[in-house]
Amino acid sequence: MSNSNNLLTIKDLYASVEEKQILKGLDLEVKPGEVHAIMGPNGAGKSTMGYVLSGREGYTVDSGSVVLGGEDLLDMETEERARAGLFLAFQYPVEIPGVSNLEFLKASVDAQREARGEEAISSADFLKEAKAACKKVDLPISFLKRGVNEGFSGGEKKRNELMQMLLLQPKLCILDETDSGLDIDALQVVAEGVNSQRSSDRSFIVVTHYQRLLDYIKPDFVHVLSNGKIVKSGDASLAQELEAQGYAWLQTEPTEDELEG
Amino acid sequence: MSAWLESAIARGQDNSDWLAPKRAHALELLSATKWPTRKTEAWRYTPLRPIERSKAVPVENQTGLLPLAIDGLNAIELAFVNGQLDKVQLADTLPEGLTIALGSELSPEQQASALQEFSTIKPERHLFGLVNDALVNDVVIVSVEENVKIDEPVRISSLLSQGAESHTRVLVSLEAGARLTVIEDVQAQGDSLSTAFVEYNIAPKAYLEHYRFALQTGSNLAVGGCHFNLHDHAKMNSTIVAFGSELSRLDTDIIHAGEFADAKLNAMYLLDDKELFDLHATVEHAMPNGTTEENVRCIVADRARAVFNGRIHIHKDAQKTLAELNNRNLLLSDKAEINTKPELEIYADDVRCAHGATVAQIDKQALYYLQTRGVSRAKAQVMLNFGFINELIDLMPNETLAEWIRPIIRERFAQMEVM
Repeated sequence: MSNSNNLLTIKDLYASVEEKQILKGLDLEVKPGEVHAIMGPNGAGKSTMGYVLSGREGYTVDSGSVVLGGEDLLDMETEERARAGLFLAFQYPVEIPGVSNLEFLKASVDAQREARGEEAISSADFLKEAKAACKKVDLPISFLKRGVNEGFSGGEKKRNELMQMLLLQPKLCILDETDSGLDIDALQVVAEGVNSQRSSDRSFIVVTHYQRLLDYIKPDFVHVLSNGKIVKSGDASLAQELEAQGYAWLQTEPTEDELEG
Repeated sequence: MSAWLESAIARGQDNSDWLAPKRAHALELLSATKWPTRKTEAWRYTPLRPIERSKAVPVENQTGLLPLAIDGLNAIELAFVNGQLDKVQLADTLPEGLTIALGSELSPEQQASALQEFSTIKPERHLFGLVNDALVNDVVIVSVEENVKIDEPVRISSLLSQGAESHTRVLVSLEAGARLTVIEDVQAQGDSLSTAFVEYNIAPKAYLEHYRFALQTGSNLAVGGCHFNLHDHAKMNSTIVAFGSELSRLDTDIIHAGEFADAKLNAMYLLDDKELFDLHATVEHAMPNGTTEENVRCIVADRARAVFNGRIHIHKDAQKTLAELNNRNLLLSDKAEINTKPELEIYADDVRCAHGATVAQIDKQALYYLQTRGVSRAKAQVMLNFGFINELIDLMPNETLAEWIRPIIRERFAQMEVM
């Protein structure tokens, strides 16, 4: 049985995309305040994990269980998972022309407040909060008026993800390849933002292909995901080891899983 | 020929007032017109059976119908009740330089000059335009004198009681350098049948800001037209917001009759249930150096059907024309239907003319993205639909009208389902 102190418990999770099994017996336990890094080669199932946990259409759970804060996550709709405290920072955030960033952020915050039985925040108060968050992630205030991620550069999109995280105050953040497409300055801004959110009641799962991000966001644990399950776990030093060795040693069978990992 | 059209022709022949010469001409054309079938290109996707079956009849002496209030709008109200101008609702005093008159009450000389303009902008090819010529019993004439700028919009409302048949006609004249805003809207109680045509003559350097809110739904049948004649350096900016009904058809014609005229037309329609809305938008570039920008966006849910025919005709002499037509459509269900047809006919060789039409489904990725932030699926759909339309609402020059229409549109989206 899962440890009741865990924030997240994934147990023997099998999941498929288009009838192809990607996760094959994934186990993971995350306690409040911990930062876990998940590393692994392309096609290992890294992004799939985030999508399955968030309940994306087309991602089917075949067996296993996921419990977040004592609740059965797999039983919830995508939006309910978010309201239960799950936040997925996307590798490729979606552009939504015509919907302003501010409207999007307020709808998100209001939805979560409503779920907690609170009233919607006033527009004036929210604007103050949003401006502060915007400043913190180093985006010009004008980005609040623009369409969601519309015409944003890769770095700006990632900072916009971070801004959402600041405003939503989730319990568990999954950062999906947040470092991809970022230059070193943008990486630092994002890492600082994440670090500022580390607290004893907030946990992170940092999914990354490279060790680089982990120089800035120090993990408590590092796991290696390969062929749909965790094959090795260790402390931060494991990341360095992987950086030195690469992932070739994992290839025990031909890579049939060439789907995005 | 349909029984409905035969009866319309018979009723038209009974009337011998000042409009008689125009009416006689329309009747002559009508009796030579074939009732449209599925093979008639202009009506191919809009079957006329609901009109053939309609039991709507003219209703007289109806009172007590008032236009819905638009918050914050200070307009000169002009209301038709079941097709009759309700004079009680007309303001006693109008701003200087603006006149609103009934054609029947003009002097014979004035009537003669009104007849010169009447039905010259509206093209004769339109069957129901001819029906309107034949059955309308008066014309409201709105004129703005030279170089006069009228700040308050003129709002022309058509109010229809249950089962009423109505035919309304307005002629709007902007003299040189004049400026005017006109808002057309309809409120119908059900089972009504209306034809509503407005002709706009926009003299050199005059500017017309125009809105048509065709928000009638359900069993109301509506056929109408907005026809604009632009002279040298004249400008117009038109916004059309439409819901669908059992049968709703609108024809817009923009005629560049002078040089350096500038036309903007933004149309959006939002259809649900089994509604139909058909927009036939025609632009005639008859003279050089004109510009036209047309944006048409459409969201179709459930089993609704949308028709858009966007024709741009650039005549041989219309050199240096710039014309753009953009049509984007969003389908919310696999039973919804969109028939879109851009038609470009270009006879001048030094012009820039672009057109595009796309049909898409709601962006599932965007929906998922919003849901991962806690926004419910239903709310996310409304946000995405609204976003698609909001880009055009933001372009409305009149902020009061934009503020008024936004929640109405949101409310409509809240009822639409994505299948």
